[in-house]
Amino acid sequence: MTALAQTPGSRVLLSRALRGVLPLLIILIVVFFSLTAPGFLSVGNLSSLVLNNFVLLAIVAIGMTWAVAAGGIDLSVGTAVDFASLAFVVLLNAGHGLSVAIPGALLAGALVGGFNAGLIAGLRITPFLATLGTLFIGTSVQQLLSEGGQPIYIAQHVLPGITRLTWLGVPLTLWCVAGLALLYGLVLARGRLGREILAVGTQVQVARYSGLSIRLITLKVFLASAVACAVAGVVLSSTVNAYVPMSGNAFLINAMGAVFMGTTLSRTGRANIPGTLLGVLFINVIANGLLLIGWNFYWQQVATGGLILWVLAFSFASRRLALQPR
Amino acid sequence: MPSSDVLGQVPGFSRQLSVLLLRRGSLLAFAGILAVFAVTAPHFLSAGNIANVFAQSAILGILAFGLTCVVIGGGSHVVSGGLDLSLAANLGVCAAVYSSLNNAGVNAPQAIGLTLMCGLAVGALNGFTVVVLRLPPLLATLASMNLIAGLELVLTQNSVLPTDSAVLDALVDGVWLHVPALAWVLLGTGLLLGLLIQHSPYGLRLYAVGEYPEAARAAGLNVKAYVFSSYLLAGLCAAVAAFCSAAYFSGSTTGSGDLLLSVVAITFLGVVFSRRLVANIPGTLLAALLLGFLINGFQLLNIASFWVNGVQGVLILLVVALSSALRQEEGGQ
Repeated sequence: MTALAQTPGSRVLLSRALRGVLPLLIILIVVFFSLTAPGFLSVGNLSSLVLNNFVLLAIVAIGMTWAVAAGGIDLSVGTAVDFASLAFVVLLNAGHGLSVAIPGALLAGALVGGFNAGLIAGLRITPFLATLGTLFIGTSVQQLLSEGGQPIYIAQHVLPGITRLTWLGVPLTLWCVAGLALLYGLVLARGRLGREILAVGTQVQVARYSGLSIRLITLKVFLASAVACAVAGVVLSSTVNAYVPMSGNAFLINAMGAVFMGTTLSRTGRANIPGTLLGVLFINVIANGLLLIGWNFYWQQVATGGLILWVLAFSFASRRLALQPR
Repeated sequence: MPSSDVLGQVPGFSRQLSVLLLRRGSLLAFAGILAVFAVTAPHFLSAGNIANVFAQSAILGILAFGLTCVVIGGGSHVVSGGLDLSLAANLGVCAAVYSSLNNAGVNAPQAIGLTLMCGLAVGALNGFTVVVLRLPPLLATLASMNLIAGLELVLTQNSVLPTDSAVLDALVDGVWLHVPALAWVLLGTGLLLGLLIQHSPYGLRLYAVGEYPEAARAAGLNVKAYVFSSYLLAGLCAAVAAFCSAAYFSGSTTGSGDLLLSVVAITFLGVVFSRRLVANIPGTLLAALLLGFLINGFQLLNIASFWVNGVQGVLILLVVALSSALRQEEGGQ
């Protein structure tokens, strides 16, 4: 690598090549599975891959992207998912319609985000430990509310069936992902708030001396992250017709993996929405393809872990090359 | 934090005072919790119960020792500093390796040796990704956690591997001086690591590498080797904890990954028991015991175990908020 990086030109080229590693890898994997896995490219499989696996992880990871872009991390994404899911199911079962249940769920998620923001901006606890504390407290609250983890099912007659609705032939949940990705992506990449978030994430001192209110930005970031997770909570509980306590935590690890793999796309290694979505796609395509060629769930996890490690290694090698003084 | 403004006025003396208060305060809080349980919970102070708490804290405590080493060697910044999220998964895979070797009839020294090697190998993998590939520890160990948890599933097919050996029997049933063997393992590991980390040149240099890597490098220390060695220590701790876990549960169990968050919590709680507010072995031991006594007291008082996570969460937040308020005085930001 040192030999290649001797001249600035080749270093830039190499850095660019490394940045393309994630999309290239996804294309290779898709080609590989369409050749080896029977039925990988069938409409049934692709739509199940997108609707059952991609949607939920993508929404959670979109929220996480903002937290990572601001230089933090959100370990309590699962808590926000669960709280929203709980509020949604309880409100529906209490006889309220979707017009109450959905805002109620978003509010419940936002509460988690507000709590995080209070800890991080108010008490100046690092995001990692603050959201870890939230995760612990959230687990206790859920155990107490659900008698130790009993699921609460949505009563038959109030079944909303949001997940089966379509618009222009595309399922509503996919529109949901597209809408959130567009909103969070555009604000992060083009909006004023996005620039402020990146400033806080990369140079917090400079941001402070430039007169930005770190606290206000932190509040916005963690509220936005939790609200995205709340949307995932609504989608989750209308998919499984229930609130299952502590089920949101399953998304945490993969969402973190997807966001950080997505940073490969950016020249400076920043979290970005398109990258995150590619990361989510990467994780889901591998899991689905390995399942189809007959690998069991256990080997899937080994392979996914290994591949994530590999992509991350490339990502950080590329960032170091890009940031080296010329 | 109102206290941070008050503290800012007289930097030297009042800071020392508040650190003293915080440190003594946390010890006092520990004593207070013990006192409340001693008064309200029946048999809480009986020798048998206390010995039990020590034994039950062994698994989490030893894992947290490992994380403490990594945090010391990598610095306490959580994202870019030292962190090993793969510890719990490492315990799982080590327990699975030992159980399957033992069940396959491998003799005791070989099985134990290979299990320790397994823990060290995972530690070396983490060290390699952090030191050579230069990934942030948070991400590197997150990925290796996935990898190792997958290997454990492959090995155990996600089922419990019951096993039984003389070593495990001795660990779970052995009693010496009225103290169970698991408690001795916890105290012994704590003593060894305490001597190594707090009272040896190696430990002093490890702190230097973690807190001031540039200065350590300038002083001629091989920073990379020290960081690498801290991950090896963590891997070794995971293997030792795996024996405790295998003894306690009579084999390998599923779901060892659930231990991870408690291990992180204990390590960062332990910070508050040190004068300079850094991760340290005796503090980690105290924090592990504090958590053990909490869970035990709740059980004796018939309080639902659902509260344990919440209390743990509040404790972390309280401790970290207090210590970060104090540290800001020092760091000036």
